[in-house]
Amino acid sequence: MTVLSLLTLLFVVALSSFTSATSDYRESLDLQPLPQSALLASFNFRSNESQASFDERHFRYFPRALGQILQHANTKELHLRFTTGRWDAESWGPRPWNGTKEGGTGVELWAWIDAADDEAAFAKWITLTQSLSGLFCASLNFIDSTRTTRPVASFELMGDHPASSNLHLLHGTLPGEVVCTENLTPFLKLLPCKGKAGVSSLLDGHKLFDASWQSMSVDIAPVCPRSGECSVHIDQTVDIVLDIDRSKRPRDNPIPRPVPSDQLACDTSKPYHSDDTCYPLESTSAKGWSLTEIFGRSVSGACPLTENVDQEEPVCLRVPHEREVVVASGAVETKKPDGFTRCFTLQPSTPFDLTIPEQEVTTHVPLDEPVLSAERTIVGHGQERGGMRIIFDNPSDTNSVDFIYFETLPWFLRPYVHTLQASITGRDGLHRQVPASQFIRESFYRPAIDRERGTQLELALTIPPASTVTLTYDFEKAILRYTEYPPDANRGFNVAPAVIKLDAANGSNHPIYIRTTSLLLPLPTPDFSMPYNVIILTSTVIALAFGSIFNLLVRRFVTVEEAATLTAQTFKGRLSGKLVALRDRIKGKRAKTE
Amino acid sequence: MATPAALPPLPFNPSRVRSYVLRLPLFTRLVLLAILVFWLLELQTMWSVVQWGSVIPDEVGFGTMYRLNTYPFIHLGFFHAFLNVLALTPLLERFEAEHGTLTAVALFIGPLSTLPAGLYILVEKFLLHRNTAVVGSSVWVFLLLGSEAIRTFKSNPYFSLGTTKIPTWTSPLFACALVSILVPNTSFLGHLCAILVGYLLGLGFLKIFVPPEKVLRWIEGKLNLLGRLPHYVSVDQKTYGRYGVLPTTTTGGERGTPMSFLGSSQRLGPSPNASHLMALKSVIRKLRSNPHFLFVHLPHILSFICIVAGVVWLLLLPLNDYSRQTYISENALLPGQVHAYFSGSEQHIFRGYKKELEGVLTAQTEDGQEGWNDDFTPAVSDKIQSILKATGLKVATQNYKYTSSGITHQGQNVYSIIQAPRGDATEAIVLVAAWKTVDDELNLNGVTLALTLARYFKRWSLWSKDIIFLFPPDSKAGTQAWIDAYHDMQPAFVQPLPLKSGALQGGLVIEYPFDHRFESLHILYDGVNGQLPNLDLFNTAVSITGGQMGIGTNLQEMWDHDDSYEMRLETIMRGMVKQGFGYATGPHSSFMPYHIDAITLQTKGDGWQDEMALGRTVESLCRSLNNLLEHLHQSFFFYLLMQTNRFVSIGTYLPSAMLIAGNFTIMAIALWLRTGYYPGAQQSAQAAKVTKEQAATATEKLDDKQPPAQPDASNIIERQLALPLTLVVGLHLLGLIPLYIFNNISHQYYPTATYTSILANFILPLLLAAVLSHGLNPNPQQYLLIKSFSLLILGLFLSTLATLNFSLSFMIGLLCAPLSFVNRINPHTTSRPLRYILSTLGVIFLSVLSPPVVLLVACSYFGVDLETVLTQAAFGWDVWGVWTQVVVWF
Repeated sequence: MTVLSLLTLLFVVALSSFTSATSDYRESLDLQPLPQSALLASFNFRSNESQASFDERHFRYFPRALGQILQHANTKELHLRFTTGRWDAESWGPRPWNGTKEGGTGVELWAWIDAADDEAAFAKWITLTQSLSGLFCASLNFIDSTRTTRPVASFELMGDHPASSNLHLLHGTLPGEVVCTENLTPFLKLLPCKGKAGVSSLLDGHKLFDASWQSMSVDIAPVCPRSGECSVHIDQTVDIVLDIDRSKRPRDNPIPRPVPSDQLACDTSKPYHSDDTCYPLESTSAKGWSLTEIFGRSVSGACPLTENVDQEEPVCLRVPHEREVVVASGAVETKKPDGFTRCFTLQPSTPFDLTIPEQEVTTHVPLDEPVLSAERTIVGHGQERGGMRIIFDNPSDTNSVDFIYFETLPWFLRPYVHTLQASITGRDGLHRQVPASQFIRESFYRPAIDRERGTQLELALTIPPASTVTLTYDFEKAILRYTEYPPDANRGFNVAPAVIKLDAANGSNHPIYIRTTSLLLPLPTPDFSMPYNVIILTSTVIALAFGSIFNLLVRRFVTVEEAATLTAQTFKGRLSGKLVALRDRIKGKRAKTE
Repeated sequence: MATPAALPPLPFNPSRVRSYVLRLPLFTRLVLLAILVFWLLELQTMWSVVQWGSVIPDEVGFGTMYRLNTYPFIHLGFFHAFLNVLALTPLLERFEAEHGTLTAVALFIGPLSTLPAGLYILVEKFLLHRNTAVVGSSVWVFLLLGSEAIRTFKSNPYFSLGTTKIPTWTSPLFACALVSILVPNTSFLGHLCAILVGYLLGLGFLKIFVPPEKVLRWIEGKLNLLGRLPHYVSVDQKTYGRYGVLPTTTTGGERGTPMSFLGSSQRLGPSPNASHLMALKSVIRKLRSNPHFLFVHLPHILSFICIVAGVVWLLLLPLNDYSRQTYISENALLPGQVHAYFSGSEQHIFRGYKKELEGVLTAQTEDGQEGWNDDFTPAVSDKIQSILKATGLKVATQNYKYTSSGITHQGQNVYSIIQAPRGDATEAIVLVAAWKTVDDELNLNGVTLALTLARYFKRWSLWSKDIIFLFPPDSKAGTQAWIDAYHDMQPAFVQPLPLKSGALQGGLVIEYPFDHRFESLHILYDGVNGQLPNLDLFNTAVSITGGQMGIGTNLQEMWDHDDSYEMRLETIMRGMVKQGFGYATGPHSSFMPYHIDAITLQTKGDGWQDEMALGRTVESLCRSLNNLLEHLHQSFFFYLLMQTNRFVSIGTYLPSAMLIAGNFTIMAIALWLRTGYYPGAQQSAQAAKVTKEQAATATEKLDDKQPPAQPDASNIIERQLALPLTLVVGLHLLGLIPLYIFNNISHQYYPTATYTSILANFILPLLLAAVLSHGLNPNPQQYLLIKSFSLLILGLFLSTLATLNFSLSFMIGLLCAPLSFVNRINPHTTSRPLRYILSTLGVIFLSVLSPPVVLLVACSYFGVDLETVLTQAAFGWDVWGVWTQVVVWF
């Protein structure tokens, strides 16, 4: 597993390119077919602006809209992620950019803000989220105090900052946010060529958001080389994993109807094979595809704003050299010595297309094994309690893995940290309960405050080689107020993915990030027709109960005879009786008519 | 007589209305009858009554003068007639009652119809030159209102609204204006004419039309009208008035009782009111002097009524008036709105997979065994896994082992997950195809279909939820193990799941256990412990199979459901029995405790639907579930189904079980009261140990001598609670013993255990009775208290249970119903042999009702499966708790 992936290499190259201080713009597209007919496409767009012109609001390639927001919100470093789907590490290997350019499902934002104290920083943070919300058409304004955390060890500054600055790291996630075209359009508008030319012209919402996994990122950081002027770098990436079969379906007929029976690929060696019986044969050859088929359009030439248009090789393809690749005329192909990479130059205003025919291949591009795999699920059932189970698997037989595990929990999920338990399963399948302190080197825990802030848990963990460690803890589900439920209350509530930061491996200085999937927490949900029923029912019951009880209390049931005697006993009764008798005598009445 | 206002007057008293209608005088009746007859006549189409009899100004000539008399009887429609009748009846009745029938006839047939009509024609024809026909008795209504208003004006000239004073005679004008605004097509002019004539009548200008009293008396006397005609109001009677006894009546002269001007009020007749009061008073007096009825007989009667009403209520449910048509409540489901594409070459693949699985089965045969080996061997498991892996799905397995009643259930679940293309593992749907169906048949087609569907579904990009395909080796233990492990609630002998997805939103089970084509689908929906899936899921399935696919659906094994009352009732009953037993009816049942809605689709019959049709049904169902934005919550979770498209919801059926549970509570409260302050039984029992009946008679005798001061609070006695409470609690705890025994012994001992427990049930009460009566020697109060507590617990328990598992509560309630009516046989009253016979009969009777016997008689469900036994056991405790009541009473 010593083969460094091209992407890691590129990442290192990209970082080193931060050192140039002049204002420039570069873009690149890396294509890599993955197992199971998937194709990873990594778009990268980088530009920078010198700190001086940035401060003077003189922008050339740096997007003005973003620059002004940053200045207004005192933000020194900004990281914004839009992610959908899940990365299938088991099939696809390690993540592009080592996970540094992706976020958890939904939207993730973290920034270093220069402010005097926490409160000022939070105020600026709110300004930032509100402005970005407008810029990116995302619900970033919903990142309020309950969704904001201040991670201690999980994120590191990427750029160089003067020692005098008082930076505050704030982090917020929106796990339920659906990333779609309305986020892509503003993203493309930040680019100098705005998706009209260069590799960004491939980014079409229909294809991009049909991807199995997709991540967009914006990173802004100041970089100060030891000698020279500081500059502000912006680095935008779009990483997508497309299903080749699915993307190749024509747009006017996207339904995967059953294929005609004569086109079925059958295993003819089966004894029962006949015209109407077919054991399907899954194709082993590498799929054929072209840029036009996959993205629905070809690259409309190089972006003319790129530095050294003629020498840049913006499009790279990572397939074995033995594979046949057909490119449009005018493009120059360069094969790299590692045996798997070839890059192409683009001509301005000449469309570029790339076609790979279907081919039986013997060699495959090696994929690194992931350093760690993590799975987080909610266990248990019922309305009141639940449990969280996090499984870390260290596939390495020799090295233990050190990492920081960071999770934010919404306030209505109340974890019982004292129930945190760990168990370890070795490769022998033996399950042992061990104290959690055996794996946890350090921990940072900030409990939630109802309706004010969520729980923040950061654990520094060490997983021994060739073992699977399971952490569990119990939690209680809070009951929300009636108005706090969203319209789709019965769907459940999203719990943000956990972030795992692995310390630098293989001698590189840059950490690896892994994110778990987001979770759905079912909370006790009232029947929302209930208030109506309750009002009706209680009113009726109260009316009936009060009426009859009041009646019973103030009334006295007596028979007529008793009433007569009772009346006769009181002074008033006797008096009125006398009066009646007197009146009767005067009127000459004998008796009352019965 | 001054009536004490003991009872608050009810706003609406049906009996009062009835008596009012019965007392309507003759002419009023005739008018109403005429109106009715004309309305009926109008119903035919040959001859237009309205055209014939209405006042049409242009048509009225000398030959058609009859119109001036007929028009008040004729109406334009039912509501016209009805409203007019409603308004007219009280007014006319009052008029007739005051003036006598003959006067009323003379006036209303003559001048009071012709005068307004004439006036109307005059104005309409000659002043306005229009020709609007008028019809209806509202003319009399306004006429009478006008005359009443004048009378009111004489006694009570003004309304005071703040400072303004409105003369009361204007009120009919207001009414008239209001009616013409509110009711369309009313003749304002006609009503105005009527009011004018009414004013004239009220002012006495029309007295000339009234026949002289002498003549009337003569006619009346000659013809003996009073004797011959029922409800005839005599001329004499009018002189005195019929309402002289009313306290509001002012003596002599014109009566000025104000009344509602629209005439909708019912007038209070004093006689029925008084007689009712009298009856009530006598009842109360009787009750006071004879509390025996209140404490002993009344609860029995009430309890019995409760039980009967509960049963009758249940029998009413299948009727259309009490059940409802099913409907899809969750709009997101959109059942059958998508085209199902599962057909064509997918069938070739289905056949291929099936041959492949058959190959595994026959390969086992070649190992030397005879016939097919239907078992879910590791070879089968491997084959399923390899097919799923070839499709590109993630596959995992889970081993489990359960031991119940000495039988071990073990196996390996195979499952795979289609990850939603753009999802993030938050939600999932489960599709289950068990290797063996509930009836232990080989579900080869079902499993193959699930495999084919897995391959087919993988191609679609529209899934918003993960789809999990689960292949358990059997229908009961396998799914249970899997779902337990999915929620990490598994026991030690069940492996945890290596691969997981998000929250499960719904489950579907496919069963296709034969090789030929099928005719209809049988939908199983009962869950463990009587829990049911959301009705929306069932409705979606019915709607898709029936509406989209054209496949018939059945439920509760009712194959020929003709939607008759009997069939509906039978379906309900079958559903209730299944719910009451609460055992798993299929793989879907295991999902219910985790609040996951699931159903089983079983193919039935021999028809022309093939596996592709079932596949398309499943595809469409999955698409519907895939649409869900929220967990199924909209529709009902508590219902009884009587047909695939009719159901009763909990609000309608619950009273049935509640009434039965309520009967125990009533008895318990009555007994409690009896032990508290019913002194008669206490005194007499202590004094002479006479029976309660004798005691009651004694009290009655006492009551005869002493006025009702006797049942005083001074005789409240202290209740001795220690013994009854201990006994009842102890006996309920005793139920734990059989519960433990039946859950833990090996299955081959079940018959023995059952017989033993029957014997124990027979002997234990006798022993207990002996100990109780000889050793502890409790007094009658304690006996009553024991029974009271037992019934109270039973009632509480049953009413709580009714909200969770209606059917079980209902069944136990019915079984225990005799407990309410069982009494202690008093050793001092009955003769010795009779006592023995009685008690023996009683013991036998109650033994028959005891759980083991019922169990034996109903069906032996022993040793079927862990789930069954567990469910039985869970409720066994309750059942046993109930049984102890019997022990208490003998």
